[in-house]
Amino acid sequence: MNLRKVLFILSLVALVFSALPAAAQDEPIQMTMWVRAINFQTQELVDQWNANNDSQIELTIIPPGEFVTKMGAAVAAGDPPDIASIDLIYTPAFASAGQLVDITEYVRELPYADSLTPAHMNLGLYEGRNYAVPTAVDGSFIVYNIDLFEQAGLDPDNPPATWDEMLEAMRAINDLGDDIYGYWFSMNCSGCNAFTFLPFIWASGGDVLSEDYSEATIAEDPIVREALQFYNTIWEEGLVPEGASIDSGANFATAFAAGNIGMAGTGNFALSLYQNDYPDLNFGVFHIPGRDGGAASFGGGDVIAIPAGTEHVEEAWRFIEWTMSEEPQIEIYAANGQIPLRLELIDNPYFEGDDRQMIAASALAVGHTPVTPVYNDLFNDANGPWLEMLQIAILDGDIDGAIELGQERFTQIMEG
Amino acid sequence: MSIPPNTLNLSWTQRRKLTGLLFVLPTVAFVTVFFIIPLLMTVYMSFHDWPLFGERAFTGLKNYSELGKDRQYLKSLDFTFRYTLLVTPPIFALGFILASLVRRNLRFIGIFRTIFFLPVVIGLGVSSLLWVWMLDDRIGIFNKILLDLNLVPKAQLFLGRPNTAMNVIILSVVWKTVGFTMILLLAGLQAIPDELYESAEVDGAGYFRKLFYITLPLMRRFIALALILSVIGSVLAFDQFYIMTRGGPRNSTISIVYWIFNNSFTYFKMGYGSAMSIVLLGILVALTGAQFYVLRERE
Repeated sequence: MNLRKVLFILSLVALVFSALPAAAQDEPIQMTMWVRAINFQTQELVDQWNANNDSQIELTIIPPGEFVTKMGAAVAAGDPPDIASIDLIYTPAFASAGQLVDITEYVRELPYADSLTPAHMNLGLYEGRNYAVPTAVDGSFIVYNIDLFEQAGLDPDNPPATWDEMLEAMRAINDLGDDIYGYWFSMNCSGCNAFTFLPFIWASGGDVLSEDYSEATIAEDPIVREALQFYNTIWEEGLVPEGASIDSGANFATAFAAGNIGMAGTGNFALSLYQNDYPDLNFGVFHIPGRDGGAASFGGGDVIAIPAGTEHVEEAWRFIEWTMSEEPQIEIYAANGQIPLRLELIDNPYFEGDDRQMIAASALAVGHTPVTPVYNDLFNDANGPWLEMLQIAILDGDIDGAIELGQERFTQIMEG
Repeated sequence: MSIPPNTLNLSWTQRRKLTGLLFVLPTVAFVTVFFIIPLLMTVYMSFHDWPLFGERAFTGLKNYSELGKDRQYLKSLDFTFRYTLLVTPPIFALGFILASLVRRNLRFIGIFRTIFFLPVVIGLGVSSLLWVWMLDDRIGIFNKILLDLNLVPKAQLFLGRPNTAMNVIILSVVWKTVGFTMILLLAGLQAIPDELYESAEVDGAGYFRKLFYITLPLMRRFIALALILSVIGSVLAFDQFYIMTRGGPRNSTISIVYWIFNNSFTYFKMGYGSAMSIVLLGILVALTGAQFYVLRERE
């Protein structure tokens, strides 16, 4: 083979390779996105993106309880989505396993990077690098039925600020009738109670995990015991419907909407539900109080990340960056009653004059989120130690046994 | 008519053997791909720290030694065997009664056989959901009937209390599977020639003598088959607990397969899940061997 032939072949090869990306550009990029099924505005975001861009996103909605299992299996099988909206507490588990694309360089270029909700940014950080940014902010708080408060002779403008005041209010409302109850909890739903019961402990200065999340403090922190006693009293005195004890979360948000429940722990995702679907429900919002006052909230919601292995990192980031820009933040997020991801946008025309939204948004200031790769095993697993401990303490009244079991199983899981 | 030429130049016996081999080949391939390879894979995984994703590491027998320290594993073993012991007798007693009822070829007997067998055809997942609704405290038919008959003061949370949860799940499984046992036992009953009963009656044997000296001994093989299938099914139970109670209340209904599923796909500990599966396989082989031995045909 002579030199000319070699050069000819080489140039042919070069031509083919240079032509490849050009050919790829002609085809609009197709991306897949996964989100857990909860009342966030993801569908609207994707619809608007698809209408205005060449690249198209196909959204798959996954039941919340199945998300980690399905995502884990997809990643293990080498076929993850291009974009994933992940319950923020799972980010450490996925980032530490090397399953998310490092987006530090992109995040650095965002002019508003510092005003993105801190809890979400914090959970998206692993070994100093960014792996996720916020996409849905969801703090926990308590909703109360103003009509029932008034009927029971309580002042709806001064909602309870301590556990005792909450109990008194529940008792007063319970006395209104056979089918009227002071409170609601979904005691067969582990995640619901991480979201709405943990803040009672935090607001009183206690915690179930040590500050560096390295060990369980259930047995040594007296506040944990008192909080369990508080909920046990609610159950023993019949201040919640009996069915609450076996509710696996199906009625977590809707039980309160029925109008016969005085108070219930909930989150932002429920506000738009109440406002849109139950216009007659006259309700207010207050922060989850500590034993003697104070306030706390579970800084929940979703982060958005790019799973490792996708070919469309650049385009996926273009979508993510757009979702955080001002127009969708106001016109899709705030307009639908969802909290904007950038703190400076919380003051917006849609939230002005709506106390409930302002109180709900301000819950973020007292928001707290456990950062541990074993979060799912500890708190969210339906068969995990968290729910078992709560049920034994609150429904069975065996607080000592529950604390001992909780401490032991938490420690076992955290030690791997 | 053309017979393919004997291109390989084989003798008649060799050709016969080759033909036989070709006939079983699909089955051999199927068993290899869907049973033997996964089994070997499971054994291999059980010696590793094998997360669903991320780094894998060889850990030798560590997964097996951890089994003894796993409180829930022991609890699940205990629960699974208690469940098997409780669910098997009613399935057999009821299956035998039903089989005796539909044994004779009377008019319309096919309708009854079909009715009794129908629940077997429904998927276990579907039937479990059906029972969840029937047992519901607000919309369920059971509470409606009990309340209307004044048998209970208020609606019962059947799946919310450890003792009743187990009982109602057993009830649902008996309803679901008794038809299958009935069919197996029916085949056994119908295989017994009527002459035996007739001559026993001539000798003055009553119902129970006929039952213990003719029916049961001659049904030994059918009972063994039904028992082994039923016990294996009960030890491997998963769907009904996953759907009806999610392992609750207070984690009291987590069967062993449920715990294997949890470890493998919720906690991502595939290696540990594999080790538990291998131990369970050993237990099942031993149990089945024991049943074969007890119910073997005596010379």
